[in-house]
Amino acid sequence: MTQTQSVMLVATLLAAVGLWLLLPRGEGWGRKLGILLALASLGLFASRLPRLGSTSAEVIFWFLAAVTVMSAVCAVTLKSPVYCAIWFAMTLLGTSGLFLFQGAQFLGVATIVVYAGAILVTFLFVLMLAQPEGHAYYDRVSWEALVSACVGAVMIGILTMVIGDAFAPKSFTVDETEKYVTLTDGIVDPIAGREVPQRTDEILSDRHMDHLGTQLFSRHLIAVEVAGTMLLAALVGAVSIAIQSKPLARSAGGARHG
Amino acid sequence: MGELQLLQNYLVVGAMLFSIGLVGMLTRRNMIIMFLAVEMMLQGVSISLVAWSRFHNDWGGQILVIFILTVAACEAAIAMVLVLMLFYRSGRLDIAAWQNLRESNQTAFVDTELPEAEIEEPQWPALAPSGIEPVQPVEQMVHRSHV
Repeated sequence: MTQTQSVMLVATLLAAVGLWLLLPRGEGWGRKLGILLALASLGLFASRLPRLGSTSAEVIFWFLAAVTVMSAVCAVTLKSPVYCAIWFAMTLLGTSGLFLFQGAQFLGVATIVVYAGAILVTFLFVLMLAQPEGHAYYDRVSWEALVSACVGAVMIGILTMVIGDAFAPKSFTVDETEKYVTLTDGIVDPIAGREVPQRTDEILSDRHMDHLGTQLFSRHLIAVEVAGTMLLAALVGAVSIAIQSKPLARSAGGARHG
Repeated sequence: MGELQLLQNYLVVGAMLFSIGLVGMLTRRNMIIMFLAVEMMLQGVSISLVAWSRFHNDWGGQILVIFILTVAACEAAIAMVLVLMLFYRSGRLDIAAWQNLRESNQTAFVDTELPEAEIEEPQWPALAPSGIEPVQPVEQMVHRSHV
């Protein structure tokens, strides 16, 4: 077992125990220990990732990634649903920051507008309508906290290891005459076998929105139409479900009275 | 800045977000928080797609994320209406209220012991009185029956 694998194993174990301690289980003990363990496992996972090369890029990326992942853990583990929604908004801010860092300007703004502006407000409205008194008993317990925490931690560990393996330098030979990439390991690896494509920096150019809109409304025009139709269908469906129940309840009550 | 390293870091962050959303979906019993965890899984996938889009210098990933946003908006509208309807019928947002929809050979989930409610006295900020003495008593003014 290599050093990377053992570090990943320890990080996965720490993440499982930390998540289990953080999840609402009915007992209140162990949350601080869970926070410590989860932070330690995050640090271990981060220590196995390659460096970005420039200091400012590293600072910005690690800040955004830490905000995103930690507020995601808070959004999943906190007991009060309102706090969960607010921490989910924090996750969205971190995600849109990550999008901006990748040069996806439109998506960074659209994530905030669509999620934080519409979906999160819908969450809060439903919470306000359905749970005005706040804490309910089913927020203080959870299904199978230990098994779920183990599943999540193992999934993080496996995905991190697989991604790390896929990016590890492999021995391969490039046959220039045949334009073939032959891996001596026997596995055709699409990433390590090729050179990074020559960049024209279309995504990072100043005319980002111009190019994105051109792509969206020329190559993907039919998909845009289908998406618009789907939005209309969702609107009609939501309204019809919402107004259907009132006459049903009224007629049931009327039948009982009559 | 190394493109390959950036891609790997982004993929790991996306995988973490996806897995945390999975844990939330599996554990929580509040229907709204379960739905919120699903949205978090979508966010993880979006981060990975944007990273691939940057790496290959191709617009496909970003276009797909725009459609993911559209589908998430539709899904949120329908799901929130359904959650409200389920709440009106059962009186609570608990997903365990609907477990009689299970198949006949499945055993029911029974709450063995419900945790005690943590009674926390809310700490409201007390402002220092200033200016002309108000006519009403201060306790009545700072009292908030319901938040």
